[in-house]
Amino acid sequence: MSDPILRAEGLSKVYDGGYRTVALEGVSLEIPRGSLTCIMGPSGHGKSTLLHLLGGLDRPTAGKVYLDGEDLTSLGPNRLAEVRSRRLGFVFQFFNLLPVLTALENVQTAMLLAGVPRREQADRSRALLRLVGLEEKMHARPGQLSGGQRQRVAIARALANDPDILLMDEPTGNLDTRSEEDLLAHIRAVHARGKTIVIVTHSESVAAMAERIVRIRDGRVVDGETAARRFTNGRPGR
Amino acid sequence: MTYWRLIWRNLTRRRSRFVFTLSAIAVGIASVVTLLSLGIGLEAEIRRQAEGLGAELLVTPKGWCAYEQISVLTGESLPEALAAAVVDRIRRIDGLTAVPYLTQRAVIRNQPVPLVGVLAGPMKELRGWGLARGEYRLDGRHVVVGHAVAEQFDLHVGAPLRVRGSEFTVAGVLAPVGNRDDLAVYMDLSVAQRVYRTGGKVSFVAVRVDDVRRIDEYIAKIQSAANVAVVSDKQLLRSVLAIVGSVGNALQLIAAVAVLAACFGITNTMMTAIYERRREIGVLDALGAKKSTIFFVFVGESAVYGLLGGVLGVAAGFAFSYVAAPYIGRDEFTAFLGSEQSVKVFDMGITIEALVFAVLVAVLSGLYPALRAAKLSPVEAIGYE
Repeated sequence: MSDPILRAEGLSKVYDGGYRTVALEGVSLEIPRGSLTCIMGPSGHGKSTLLHLLGGLDRPTAGKVYLDGEDLTSLGPNRLAEVRSRRLGFVFQFFNLLPVLTALENVQTAMLLAGVPRREQADRSRALLRLVGLEEKMHARPGQLSGGQRQRVAIARALANDPDILLMDEPTGNLDTRSEEDLLAHIRAVHARGKTIVIVTHSESVAAMAERIVRIRDGRVVDGETAARRFTNGRPGR
Repeated sequence: MTYWRLIWRNLTRRRSRFVFTLSAIAVGIASVVTLLSLGIGLEAEIRRQAEGLGAELLVTPKGWCAYEQISVLTGESLPEALAAAVVDRIRRIDGLTAVPYLTQRAVIRNQPVPLVGVLAGPMKELRGWGLARGEYRLDGRHVVVGHAVAEQFDLHVGAPLRVRGSEFTVAGVLAPVGNRDDLAVYMDLSVAQRVYRTGGKVSFVAVRVDDVRRIDEYIAKIQSAANVAVVSDKQLLRSVLAIVGSVGNALQLIAAVAVLAACFGITNTMMTAIYERRREIGVLDALGAKKSTIFFVFVGESAVYGLLGGVLGVAAGFAFSYVAAPYIGRDEFTAFLGSEQSVKVFDMGITIEALVFAVLVAVLSGLYPALRAAKLSPVEAIGYE
């Protein structure tokens, strides 16, 4: 595979809190730069764990994760936080906006943590909220927004520091069909700007727009197929 | 967006909890400020009274306790204890001026007022009194009154005054001097001894020496002339301040308990906030917050509790001490505080001290919760339901 931006080698994650659970076992994969990859599989089979390990939110029991050749698993907590802040953007199923802040402030917070000056924060945050069609709602708090709007704010927040990769965990999992379609349009627009996107999803409609699908079962990669192969096989959106 | 805005929004998300936690620290700090303010006022007043003593030595009966020493400065009534012969022996020593005091209590319109029996001439010289009205005349029919007493009871020159069944006339009103001299009635010593039937005894003797460098020599002479205790004005001041200081320290310890309780309140509030905001802490982690940043945000919240609680506590403490001082001053031990201006309505030193203390204890209270927040695993926090 040419020019992978993100690469996992033999990733394993074992939880041992009295009862040993193998969440991931020997997972290796590459995420090409600028690609849109979906990670699919049944619930509880390690999709989100894989996403957390790829994003440096958690440390593997074994294996390595490389971001542009830099081994994330060997980084100290401060450097890892810096990588998360500047090079990665996260979107979660439950939106996870800070409820006491407005949409604008939620986006600005990501910039604050990256050390972006205050004036620049405001200008860039407005532009990002315009990008996701929420310029009218920038002073609304999350409680005043619909699910779809909250998730769009979350995307704007994930894009705050112009990251190389967006990691999304079930971004449409809490949305109705109409909001899902709307959100997917925004994700496509972001992807069209050259961002690498990795989405963990159960949704076939999300998977339908992926260039590559990685299937996980029982903590192992069971299939990694490209869109070309899917369409050749006549199984779009599997 | 700034960290302070983030901190403020977090603090005020649950207003009632914010107000109650703030109130707890404010009450603790207010009690500290009140006691500090009253203590400093009391000390200042003691020093002022000691300066107004006008004597370098004080001759008292042996075995007087601290309370009686304080009463010398407050002008409260004291038992008659030194015989006339003792006073005479002291007065015969060269190089000093001995002024005997008989401190008793008169009643004017059903209110107790200090009455001091004195030798008219030596007393006026010792205290440096001036007259506001009338004449300085102390004899079997006349008394003079302090300025504050005259004001309080509307005693003009020529007004009748009945003391223990004897009729007197107010001959003059002393010019205000700003200490306890303003608050007493002055009577000729021999007349006071007769009226109060003290058998020629006095309460204590104030002594002014001609040469302060020979003070130890004078003390030895007085003690060889009579079986009495002699303290210098400085010793008296030190011992009174030591007593007042130790009482103040004990009270401040009690106030510190209130602050300690408030600290536990802050810790509890912050721990609750962390449990409620676990997911948000995880989100901050995911957004790239360093552990130190999360630690700072939570410690910052505690510090703001301390600062705001401190500001409210300082304001309430000064207000309370200013309003309460006259009431507390009704007690003889703290009678100084009843006089005007003894307790300041604002003191920069106390303010800074209290605010630093409030922020410091609040930060200390927030350390453990902040550490817990910083140690949360992002995945665990994001996955928290």
